[in-house]
Amino acid sequence: MLFDTTQLVVALLWIAGAFALAIALIPLLGTLPPRGRFALISFVTFIAGLFFAAEFFLPVGEDNKNILTDPFQKMQGSLQVITALSLGLGTYGLVRLHLRNAVQRRPQWGYSLVLLIAFVVMAFFSIWNTMAEKGLFGIERTQLLENAFTLLFDYTLIQLDATMFSLIAFYIFSAAYRAFRIRSIEASILMFTAMLVMIGIVPLGKLISDSIGLPAVQTAEMRTNPFMLENILYNLRLPQIAGWIQETLNAPVQRAIEFGVGIGALAMAIRLWLSLERGIN
Amino acid sequence: MSYQHAEDNWFAAILIAFIALAVLVNIWRARRGKALYIRRIPGLDAIDEAIGRSTELGRPVTMIPGLTGFGVEAVQALTIFKYITKQIARFATPMRLLTANATVYAVAQEAIADAYNEAERPDLYDADSVRFLSSEQFAFASGVAGLIQRERIAANFMFGIFYAESLIFAETGNIVGAVQIAGTVSFTQVPFFVAACDYTIIGDEFYATSAYISREPVLLGSLVGQDLSKISFASMIVGGSMISTFIGTDHPIVQLLGKPQGWQSFVEWLSQVLGR
Repeated sequence: MLFDTTQLVVALLWIAGAFALAIALIPLLGTLPPRGRFALISFVTFIAGLFFAAEFFLPVGEDNKNILTDPFQKMQGSLQVITALSLGLGTYGLVRLHLRNAVQRRPQWGYSLVLLIAFVVMAFFSIWNTMAEKGLFGIERTQLLENAFTLLFDYTLIQLDATMFSLIAFYIFSAAYRAFRIRSIEASILMFTAMLVMIGIVPLGKLISDSIGLPAVQTAEMRTNPFMLENILYNLRLPQIAGWIQETLNAPVQRAIEFGVGIGALAMAIRLWLSLERGIN
Repeated sequence: MSYQHAEDNWFAAILIAFIALAVLVNIWRARRGKALYIRRIPGLDAIDEAIGRSTELGRPVTMIPGLTGFGVEAVQALTIFKYITKQIARFATPMRLLTANATVYAVAQEAIADAYNEAERPDLYDADSVRFLSSEQFAFASGVAGLIQRERIAANFMFGIFYAESLIFAETGNIVGAVQIAGTVSFTQVPFFVAACDYTIIGDEFYATSAYISREPVLLGSLVGQDLSKISFASMIVGGSMISTFIGTDHPIVQLLGKPQGWQSFVEWLSQVLGR
């Protein structure tokens, strides 16, 4: 038995109650004047945001929890429910569009037909497989299910995914060709730096550095005396130069971008929390 | 490192409170009429140019929020798409908004319908122009690439969070000769966009976009607050580097800036200094 009967009844009552509340709220919101509707939505948004902020700032006990931690986790569960509901909405939109394309024989309706057939077949075998895995309604795995599932998911879906992913290699090549064409000083610097990094991080970089006689290891004496000629020569090895470019030039720039993004996201979150952001309102 | 609660590191919590205060104070100043300056962002100036080109060619404009889930990035991306749609509505240029997230799809439908209403062209709104393709990364990528190729789009706007699929979109757009403007907070994808797009909006410029296109005091004030926070962070990095270079990494200030458990030693050091 997957669920206890009482738990199931309580859960169903909660779901029914939530639906009833939502259905009652929609016409109620419609009757409010725009200013009143905005004030109500702003209030609800503020309370919801305050809940998450308070959970973060309130002191915690020995178990690393405060009074809002448990409800916080339940709230996160409810967000998953909203996502699942909207997935249904998205799927409905997708099927409606392609069904209309196929029925009305719009241009390229054949693609829509393929999509609809693939959608139905994949959904059918996926649901069947999940039910068999969980033993729902006494459904068991059969050879047909096994073969169809392997054919559709392992031999078709995963391979199609891999094909799309492998396309990126060709696209990188064509994009890199355009980016690295030497047309200006900046492009030349980019090209030269990219060459150093690419050669430095593959065995060829080590091979070139060894062949021109640059020291292969950094001794303790070299580490304590950075201006020693041998240490300078060691740092001119291609793998060392590539590492320096990645760790000393590239990494700080990425961190700086991350700082900016973090601050921007926080500012945006504050504006949304306080209903100051009017972009899509 | 992320902290589950403020108590894990009070210093991080104080920084968050400081940023929030800087943003709110500057929003308040901007609302009181203080004139604020925002520098030019060429990528955003090019939006109207790209729309104009689509109109001349009579080919659609695509808007892609990437794999963005519903959050601040999605709200920002939809704000930009709403602005673009309002411009498009004036010229009756066709548009496609393609999403991989069902929640974003639901909100996008409302936002785009609103944009047509605000442009006083509700008759042009087509519910099928906002499409949920798939939540699977490469199924979504193939759907977008196919649409770009079939409809020979003239302009492509990519704003949001992107992963490996970014180059598939950008290169396909490039193949059909579309004007492409991308803005993302996913810094690993920035090189691909820079290589394949006409304009790229990087990092926090993405969050400045709504302020730039709307010039609303609230948003401009928020930008000033963000800049003040960035200056404070930069000062802390420079100060921390200097202290650790000249005094040593064991100094309580360096511990406070660099380690989660540095708060306690900093408080003890501060009380000693103040007591003296």
